[in-house]
Amino acid sequence: MSAVDLIDIRKSYANGSPVLHGLSMQIQAGEFIVIVGPSGCGKSTLLRLIAGLERADSGEIRIGEQRANDLPPQHRDIAMIFQNYALYPHMSVRENIAFGLELRGMAKAERNARADSVAHTLQLTPYLDRKPAALSGGQRQRVAMGRAMARETSIFLMDEPLSNLDNALRIAMRTEIKELHRQLGATMVYVTHDQTEALSLADRIAVMKDGHLLQFDTPEAIYDRPAHRFVAGFLGAPPMNFLPSERVPGALGGKEITIGLRPEHLKVRTGEPQGKGLPVRILLSEMTGATVILHCESDAGRLTLNCARSEVPPPSAALWVEYDLSKALYFDAAGRLVNLS
Amino acid sequence: MKLKDKGLSALAIAAGIVFLSPVLYSIWMSFQTAQSYYTGGFEPTLGNYATAIGQYNFARYLFNSLLVSGLVTIAGLAVATTAAFAFARFDFKGRDLLFGLVVATLMIPSHITLIPNYLTLARAGLLDTYAGLVLPAISNGFAAFFLRQYIRGIPKALDEAAYMDGATPLQVLWRVIVPISRPAIFSMGLYIFLGEWNNYIWPLVAVGKQDLYTLQLGLARLYSINPGEGLIDWPLVMAASTITILPVLFGFFLVERHLVRGITMGAVK
Repeated sequence: MSAVDLIDIRKSYANGSPVLHGLSMQIQAGEFIVIVGPSGCGKSTLLRLIAGLERADSGEIRIGEQRANDLPPQHRDIAMIFQNYALYPHMSVRENIAFGLELRGMAKAERNARADSVAHTLQLTPYLDRKPAALSGGQRQRVAMGRAMARETSIFLMDEPLSNLDNALRIAMRTEIKELHRQLGATMVYVTHDQTEALSLADRIAVMKDGHLLQFDTPEAIYDRPAHRFVAGFLGAPPMNFLPSERVPGALGGKEITIGLRPEHLKVRTGEPQGKGLPVRILLSEMTGATVILHCESDAGRLTLNCARSEVPPPSAALWVEYDLSKALYFDAAGRLVNLS
Repeated sequence: MKLKDKGLSALAIAAGIVFLSPVLYSIWMSFQTAQSYYTGGFEPTLGNYATAIGQYNFARYLFNSLLVSGLVTIAGLAVATTAAFAFARFDFKGRDLLFGLVVATLMIPSHITLIPNYLTLARAGLLDTYAGLVLPAISNGFAAFFLRQYIRGIPKALDEAAYMDGATPLQVLWRVIVPISRPAIFSMGLYIFLGEWNNYIWPLVAVGKQDLYTLQLGLARLYSINPGEGLIDWPLVMAASTITILPVLFGFFLVERHLVRGITMGAVK
């Protein structure tokens, strides 16, 4: 049984501009789904539609067996974590966590016990009597998670929950969310514009652009066989290189075809390689730690590749970039993946 | 303390004395007899208070003022807060027009509504009743406008989080919006209470029975009581004025804590 079924969902803003153009998606129970896409692509709107905070213009939203289009949020039994946490500033951490239970009529002793247990899991016990204003960003984020966990619902929605945290904390919290999903076994729908979060957290990723669902598949499939040039360029850091196929020696396809080469499938050489290659000139190099990102210019266009620090060529050398055509992807003029091999 | 700070403190104290001096003088005056006041001596007495309360029914007027101002404040805040929440948070047809009309009521001088209100209450048989004193003052356009602006400043995500937690709109209002808006609500409550406490015209029009007089009507009545030919019993008037002022001062000190704390409490992002 699907946990959430979205069938041909359409939604426009009040001024009439469309946000979602007939989007369909089937989310299985227990899955971790990440909806990813650039700002304004409609991913948060989609999440709010599932939550019941917005109404779809047409289409059907099913939660479990039930049609949920007309159900108010309080009757959907879904927990949500907001981008800015949305903690009640006048309540203590304990009260924040237990508020949803109180609204459901749970006795004070019982709800406090559950709040304490959730706080223990999230290492929030020392802060139970504090107000949100007295917590750090990471602690507030945990309280928001605790509030959702205490409800013991089967569906969690998360709207860019880590976007306000610094990088180190974001990585730590990412691991915690993954661990939490494993423990709870709940269905999680997570919205982000961060492709690293998407790839590391998801069972399946939904990539959206301009209100359209471009691809909905496993992270591996999306990374290795992106259905659209946008998907190929959006996931992966540095992003995939796109060059006109006709200007790349050995590449397939004609004038309308674009070849896509992942940076990790390129190698820099100080001389003409034995395989296929392009002469290049280094424009810029970025030290990232273990590797260096090289930005190069070739006759076919710009290329970006990763290079081990020990293999960075001297500035004066005549350089080539070698590529593995067996790993290349081809896209037509509309950006769709085409199979030319 | 720096010299500049000392100077500022001295200035603030001087300004405080200037503002307080008429009040202090009137309180001082209320403790002397009319005779000593007019003859230039000082003869301390509590008699003016005893007269105001015992002979001129000021205990009853005080009760009436507290009851009417309290009811107007509570009911006015309830109506204004609910209206403000609706205007700030719900999309409904004609919302902006309706809100415009509420704001437009601020431009109507209260005296213009005096006769229509009187006729309406007369037709409803509510003249010379507490309801007649309270009902016309409950709807307060300024309070609705002020609270709506305040609620709009509260992140909508807090409402949404409460809805996700299972709250109904009324629970969102009562459990989330009202506690966060407490500083604004207390400020507005004080404003409404003081406005009603000092209201003279409407009680004068709506009430004829002395048992329903508020303090302001009672005070005005004292001006016609002369200890001698053509003289006003100022010490008695000042004792009655003190009775009128003190509950308001006491009430202000009660809510001041909330007003100050409220200013420093913001919604957490």
